[in-house]
Formats: sequence, C-alpha cells, structure tokens
Amino acid sequence: MRLTHISIQNLRRRKSRTFLMMFSIIIGIASSTFLFITTQAMEKDVADKLDQYGSNILILPDSGEALTFGGITVGVTGQAEELNMSMVEQMQTIKNKENLATISPKLLADAEINGQKVLLVGVDFEKELRLKKWWKIEGLNFGQLPEKNEIVVGSDVARILGLTLGKSVDVKGQSFLIKGITQPTGSVEDDQAIFIDLKTLQGIENKPNSLSMIEAAAFCYTCPIEEMTKQLREKLPGTKVTALRATLESRDQTVKKFSMFSIATSIILLITSALVVAISMISSVRERTRDIGVLGAIGFRKRHILQTIFLEVTLVSFVGGLAGYLLGMGLAVAYGPTIAKMAITLPWQPILGVYATLGAVLISVLASVYPAWKAAKLDPIEALRYF
Amino acid sequence: MSLIKIENVSKTYVGGEGLVEVLKNINLEIEEGQFLALLGPSGSGKSTLLSILGALNPPTSGQVLIDGISIYDLDSERRADFRHEYIGFVFQQYQLIPYLTALENVMLPLAISKRSDKEQREMAQTVLEKVGLGQKSMRLPNQLSGGEQNRVAIARAIVNEPALIFADEPTGSLDSKTAKEILDLFQALNKDGLTIIMVTHNVENLAWVSRSISIRDGQLCAAT
Repeated sequence: MRLTHISIQNLRRRKSRTFLMMFSIIIGIASSTFLFITTQAMEKDVADKLDQYGSNILILPDSGEALTFGGITVGVTGQAEELNMSMVEQMQTIKNKENLATISPKLLADAEINGQKVLLVGVDFEKELRLKKWWKIEGLNFGQLPEKNEIVVGSDVARILGLTLGKSVDVKGQSFLIKGITQPTGSVEDDQAIFIDLKTLQGIENKPNSLSMIEAAAFCYTCPIEEMTKQLREKLPGTKVTALRATLESRDQTVKKFSMFSIATSIILLITSALVVAISMISSVRERTRDIGVLGAIGFRKRHILQTIFLEVTLVSFVGGLAGYLLGMGLAVAYGPTIAKMAITLPWQPILGVYATLGAVLISVLASVYPAWKAAKLDPIEALRYF
Repeated sequence: MSLIKIENVSKTYVGGEGLVEVLKNINLEIEEGQFLALLGPSGSGKSTLLSILGALNPPTSGQVLIDGISIYDLDSERRADFRHEYIGFVFQQYQLIPYLTALENVMLPLAISKRSDKEQREMAQTVLEKVGLGQKSMRLPNQLSGGEQNRVAIARAIVNEPALIFADEPTGSLDSKTAKEILDLFQALNKDGLTIIMVTHNVENLAWVSRSISIRDGQLCAAT
C-alpha cells in the first residue's frame, strides 16, 4: 500500500464531498476555457473586421511636391524622391514583422483619358484585394485577379468617363480591357482612380523599381502600433510612416474590453473554485482529525500527511481540470459562434487542455496549502482526544 | 538493562481551575519481555503515563529512556520515526480508519516503509491470520464486531514487528468472553517476546499479566 491508495480510498468514501470539489473545478475551468476560446475568437474576428476598414500604416516619401490622393497627401511621381521595391522586403525584417498582415506597394501616375485627367494606381492586385476586403468589383468573380492588360476602374471614374465592362481603353499608348468596376465605396481614393497592374505601370512609366507609397494592414491586437511605426521609420530612412490612429484606437479599445472582461470573469470563477476546494479540504481535514492522529501516532511524518492531502487534491483537480477543459472547449466549439454571433469555426486546442489541467492542479494545490499544513501540524495525542 | 526507564517524570496541564498535576515525580523501570498492567481508576493519570511512554506526549519534567534513547530529546519528526520503529499502539476505541479494509488498516504502518506492495500484503495477511481474522481481511471496520476490530488494531500494532506494544483499555468495551480472548492473544504475543504495557481499570485482567502497577492521583502506589 502506498499513500496514493489512502488518498484514493478517502476520496471514494467521501463521494459527495469529492463530487462537490470536482464539480466546482469543472465549472471554473469549463467557464474559463469557454470564455478564453470565445474571447480569443472574438478578438480575431474584430481585428479581421477592423482590418477591412483600411490599412493601418501608410508609408510615403518624406519630401516632394504634394498630390492629393483621396484626402491623403502623397509625393508626385517623377518630381519627388520615390520609394522602391526593396523597401517591401525591408519592412518584413522589423521586430514585429509577424504583425504585418498585408503589404501593398503602389505606384501613382496621372494620365489623360477622353480628355480628362485621371489618377492611375499601379497595384499588386492579389495584395490590394486582400487589403481592401470590402471592395465589391463588378465583373470579377471571387478570387479572380485581373491580368496584366486588364484594369479595374473606380466607380466615379467609370461614371464620369462613361467606361463600361469589357470595353478597351487607351492608357498612355497601351490598350487595356476593363475587367472590373468597383461599386461605390464612399472612399475617394478608391472611387476616383484606375487600378492597373503594378509592374505594367512601372514599365509604362519606365520606373521598374519605383513606388509612390506602401500601404500595410497590421494585426495589432497583440502589438503596439506606435512601436511598429517606430521600427519601420528606423528601417526606412527618408520616408514618412503614418499610423491611422482612429481605426487603431477603436480596435485597441474594443479588443481591450473583450480581454479585460474575459480575464476578470475567469479570475472570479477560478477564485470561487479555489475557495470551494479550500473549504472542502478544511472540512475534510476537520472530519479526519482522528484518522490523521492515528497516522501520526503510528509514525507518519508531517510530509507523509502533507503528501496524502496533496495527492487527494491533485487527483480530484486533475480529473476536474481535464473534464472542465473538455466541457468548456466542447461548448465553445458547438455554441461559441452562435453566442458571439460570429460566422467562424473554433478549432479544438489540445495544448489549452494541458494548460487548463495544470492550472486546475496548481490552483487547487495552492488552495489546499492551509488545510494540509493544519493537518500536518496536528498533534497526534490531541487529534486522538478529538472524539 | 531495562527496556524502559522513567526518571522523575511529572506532567502538568492547564485546566479550568488552574494547573492540574496529572503525574507526580514518577520513577519506573520496565524490563524487556514483561507484560505490564497499569491499573487505576478513571482520572488517575494512567493513560497520560501511557502516552508519555508512547513518545506521544512530552512530560513537563523528567526523562524517558527507551532502549537507552531519551525519546523527548528527539525532534518531532525523529520521534515519529521512533514510534514507527519501536512502538505498536492499540487505542481505546481501536481507531481503525473507516474507509480502509481490515487488511489495509493493518498495512498502514508499512505504507511508509520501503517494502513492496506484495510484501506488505503478505505481512498484513500473516498477522491477521495470527489474530484469527485471516478470512475477514477484506471487510471494512463497520462490518466487524468490537472484538474483531480490536484484533485488527492488535494486528496493526504488531505488523511492523515493534519491540513494544502499548494498549489503552483494550478490553474496556468488550464482553467478558471477548475480553478473555483478547487478553489470551496479548499473552501469546508476550510469550513470543513482545513487551506489552496495558492500561486497565479492571483488576480481573491482572490474571494475564506478569507485572502490575497501580496508579492513583498521579503517583505510583503499589506494584506486584
């Protein structure tokens, strides 16, 4: 017989107390797991949605004459110092590079179509469409990208110049097929420009490596945006790096609220579970005063008594923690998206099961330190007189 | 050389009416192999003396030597080791652990030894057979009679092969027939070489012991 056997037999004998303790741990861990998983998904969902409302970081040349591009001041191509393609690679070397979701380089140029001056924006369509998820483009199917000789026309430009889908347009001596027309977005820079393949425009302008600006979306719910802009400024001297604060501050506030709610609720639940464990163990030690006295009298050392108590708690909290994780995770996977009104799938996270179980054991053992210490301190002769 | 030597042992408690001197300057020597009865009425101090001899209750003054070891000069952890190695207790109410079977109760002192589980089981089963309970080893204490519980307590006390057995009123709550069986068992264990010290208030029990000491008002007053 080992001390574990004594602990197990005691738990089996006191079924209702064992069940109460385990139930409290299951509820605490299940609720915390559910909240954690759901909040984590909500944070990601919110961040993704916020990403759709615009890029977070804008990189422009630090000097040059101004051209207004949808309310944003940019350097005019050909007259000012320009950015270049190598900067895109340099951006991916900053410390918080993991937080850069999408980098979309752009070259701006002006052109005359049907006697009207229009803005040409050379973009990498794959990246631009990832950045501007809210764009609805007539003529382009989901996932479809324009070819090198195809363009996407902003809604205002199409209306003013009378451009329609499938028509060819002459741009600086080259013919382009209108593959798509954006639906009005309410954004001047999207509605009043013609979007063309970046490399093609670089070729037309004879600037194979030049860029006018770089837009980047950042996953900044886990990073300070100020820190990222600082890192980018250091990497890209001679540029102006601007964080679009309004969006970011709104995002930060939303994410922080979710996190604080989740953390506070989890702490309250876990403290409640720990209290139930502590009260159960204090009561259990009191009930077993005589038994503990017998153990002391027949030669059990204090550490043997401590081991017996901690083994009991560890066994209950291990099973409770694991069951709590399975229940919380299961509920989150099954009902989390419905409760949070999100159209996302929550994946099972087995590593969280390990943390939840270890956390349950740690919290329960800490909650049992006082009753275990009381039990170990019992004087055998006093304990035997107890009844 | 005496197995137990008590020198000038006194014990004082703080009671409701101030200090109560339970034992007064006790001197006693007990030889190895004796079956000693400590006789006295309730409140005479005999159970207190037994607990002091059992390394459970430090005296207010005086010294207790067992096998030449001054047991109260040991710290509490070493005293626990000493009890484990030298002493087997048979408590007044048997004090069996209610959620363990008879066999597991007997195995308790072995649970903190380095013996294998198999060896522990074999040792416990052997002593249970010795006390006549070989067939009831898997029963819980509440499935045993008072006499049987007493036998389990005796088996638990001897399983670790201690040098000394301390029994506190082991027949106090038994009928005379069962009490006789228990005393016969103690006598048989004594004949095997165990030193037994038994607290009792029943003079009829003296027929089984090799020596008796009376205690009254905290003082030894007669010896045979």
